[in-house]
Amino acid sequence: MTDSLLVWVLLAPLMGAVASLFGKLIRPLDRPLSWLGVASLAVPIAALVLLLEPVISGKSVRYALGGWPEPYGIALVLDGLSWISCALTTVIAAAVALFSLGRRRYGAGYFFFLLMMVAGMYGVALTGDLFTMFVSFEVVAVAVYVLIAWEGTATGLAASYKYLVLSTTGILFFLFGVFLVYRDLGVLSISLISEGLEASGGVLSSPAMHLALASLCVGIGVRTAFIPFHTWLPEAHAYAPHPISAVLSGAMIKVSLFAMIRIILQFGGDYLLELLMWIGAVTALAAVISALSQSDVKRLLAYHSISQLGYMLAVFGAGSALALTASFSHALNHALFKSLLFLTVGAAVSLTGQRNLYRIPPLGRRLPAFSAAFFAGALSISGIPPFNGFASKGLITAGMKGSPAYPLLWVTSFLTIASFIKLGRIFLPGEDRDGVTAGGGNPGALQTAVVVALGVLCLGTGVFGQTMARGLYRILHGTAPASIPRLFSGGKLLGVLPAAALGAAAYMAVSTDIGSRLSRRVRALAPELRTVLLFFFVGLLAFAAVAY
Amino acid sequence: MIWALICLIFLVGLWGVTRKANMVKKVMGLSIANSGIILLFVHYGSLSGTTAPIEGSGRAMADPLPQALMLTAIVVGVCVMALALVLVYRLYLRFGTLDMHRVELGAWKLHD
Repeated sequence: MTDSLLVWVLLAPLMGAVASLFGKLIRPLDRPLSWLGVASLAVPIAALVLLLEPVISGKSVRYALGGWPEPYGIALVLDGLSWISCALTTVIAAAVALFSLGRRRYGAGYFFFLLMMVAGMYGVALTGDLFTMFVSFEVVAVAVYVLIAWEGTATGLAASYKYLVLSTTGILFFLFGVFLVYRDLGVLSISLISEGLEASGGVLSSPAMHLALASLCVGIGVRTAFIPFHTWLPEAHAYAPHPISAVLSGAMIKVSLFAMIRIILQFGGDYLLELLMWIGAVTALAAVISALSQSDVKRLLAYHSISQLGYMLAVFGAGSALALTASFSHALNHALFKSLLFLTVGAAVSLTGQRNLYRIPPLGRRLPAFSAAFFAGALSISGIPPFNGFASKGLITAGMKGSPAYPLLWVTSFLTIASFIKLGRIFLPGEDRDGVTAGGGNPGALQTAVVVALGVLCLGTGVFGQTMARGLYRILHGTAPASIPRLFSGGKLLGVLPAAALGAAAYMAVSTDIGSRLSRRVRALAPELRTVLLFFFVGLLAFAAVAY
Repeated sequence: MIWALICLIFLVGLWGVTRKANMVKKVMGLSIANSGIILLFVHYGSLSGTTAPIEGSGRAMADPLPQALMLTAIVVGVCVMALALVLVYRLYLRFGTLDMHRVELGAWKLHD
C-alpha cells in the first residue's frame, strides 16, 4: 500500500501539468485549471509525509513501475537522500507556484512547464537507474529552457540558448558514462551497479570505471554548476522570470547535486572527496568575489547561488557522517532563503523596472512586508543568528574541523556579508519617490503571504536548527546521531562579530574608487564558449586522474 | 576502426559546437555529437548477436536494451534540437544576426 504511494509523487505533478495544458486550450478555464494544476502538488506532500515513517527507520521504499522488477524494469527508490531531495523540491515548487498564481501575467501554459519541471525533478530524485536519471534530467532541462525564455526578452532567449548548448553537451558526457557502465557491468540500476562494483573489487580496480564515474560527475556537474562548469548559471538565473529564478536556484541545482552525491556514494568513489572539497571551497570563494563585484541585483544573487553551492560541495568532501548532514542541512536552508531572496528582489525589479542596484530607489516604505522578508533572507545567507544560515554554517564548521580548505570558506562568509550590505540598500526605508513604477502595481496578498511564510521558515529552521539537524541525520543515516554540536553557544555567537566587522570593511573597500574599478575588471571576466568546453575536458581528466 | 570513426563523429560534433560562431551550426554540432553517442550504444549492441531480438528466430539475438535506450535518447535529442532551433529563430528576429558572439554581446549589454 505505502509502496504504491511512491508512484503518485511522480504522477500527480504530471497529471497537474496535463490539467494546466487543457487550461491553455480552453481559454475561460485558464485560471481554475492553473489552480487545479498547482493543487496537484498536495499529493506529493501527503505521500512524502506518509512515507517518512519507513524512511526514518532506515528502510528504503522500492516500487517497480508497471510491475517489472529490476534489472528489466524501472524502479523508483525512496531512501533518506531522495526523501530530502523530494521534500526540498516540493516546498520550493509549491511556494513558487503559489507566488506565480498571484501574478496575472502567467497563464496556464506556464504552469504546464513548471509542473513538468517539478515532475522531472522528482524523477531525478526517485529514479533507481542511470538511464531514467538521464531522461528525467532532460525533462527538467527542456522545461527549464522554455521557462527561462518564457517572457521572450532578448536576454532571456540568449540565456536559454547558452544554457541549452552547455547542458546538452554536458549530458552527452553523462551518456558516455552510462555507456561505459553498461559495457562493463551490464546493468544500469544504481544499486545493482554498486553490487557489481563491489564484487569486482570496487571502482578503483578498473580504469574504465574511473572514466565512467568522471563522465557521470561532469555531466551532472554542468547541471549543478560548480566551478569550472558554472558559466551558464549567472545568465540563466539572472534573466529568467523571477519565480523561475527562485525555483532554479532553490531546487534545481540542489536536486542535481543530490543526484551526484548519490552516485558517488553508491559507486564508492571516496577518492573523489578531497577533489570535491577543494573544488567546493574554490567555487565558494571565487563566486562570492564575482558576486560582490556585480551591480545587477539578480546576477549578484545568481553568483551567490554558485558560492553557497560551493559550501555544500566542500563540506560533502569532508566525508564524515556529520559533514553529510551539514551539506544537506545547508542545501535545505539555502533553498529557503535563496528562493525568498529571488522572489523579493524580483518583486523590486518588476516594481521599478530597474535591475541596477544603484538605480533602484529604497523600497522599505513601499513594500514593508517584502522588506522584512528580504532582510530575513539576507541575514540568513550572511550567517547571522538566529536565522538558518547561521545554524547550517555552524554545522559546516563542525563538519570541516581541521580541514585545510576551511579558511577559504571563512573568507567567503565575510565577503557574503559585504555583498548583502551592498544589496540591502534597495530595501532600506527611504523617501518614497513616485514615478518609479514601470512594471505594474504592488504585489498582491498571495505573493506577500508566500514571501512572509518563507521568511518565517528561515527563522524557524534557524531557531530549531539543532532539532532539524538531528532529524536530517536520522533520515540520512537511519540512526540517531551520537552528538550534534551545540549551535548557539556563546563562543559561536561572538564569532559572528569579527566576520560582520570584516564584512563591513570589505564593503567599504569595494565602494572606493579602486574597488569599483576592480569590480568592473571582475565583471568583464566572462569565459567564451570554447574555453568552457575546454573546462569540460579538463574537469573530466581531473576527475578521472585523481584516482591515481 | 568503427570505434575510431564513432569517436571521430563525436569529436566533429563537439568541434562544431565550440568553433562555429553560427548558432544554427552549433545546433548541428550538438546533433552530430548526439549521433556519435547513439552510434556508440547501437554499435556495441550489434556486437552481441547476429539477428533482431525477436523470440523464436533461432539464431543468437542482439541485446535489445541498447536499442531501446537509444530510441529514448533519439526522441529526447529531437525535442532538444527543435527547441534549440526555435530559440535560434527568435534570437535571429531580435538581433538580426546568427553570430553567437554578437548576440551575447548585444544581450548582456541590454541590462546593467
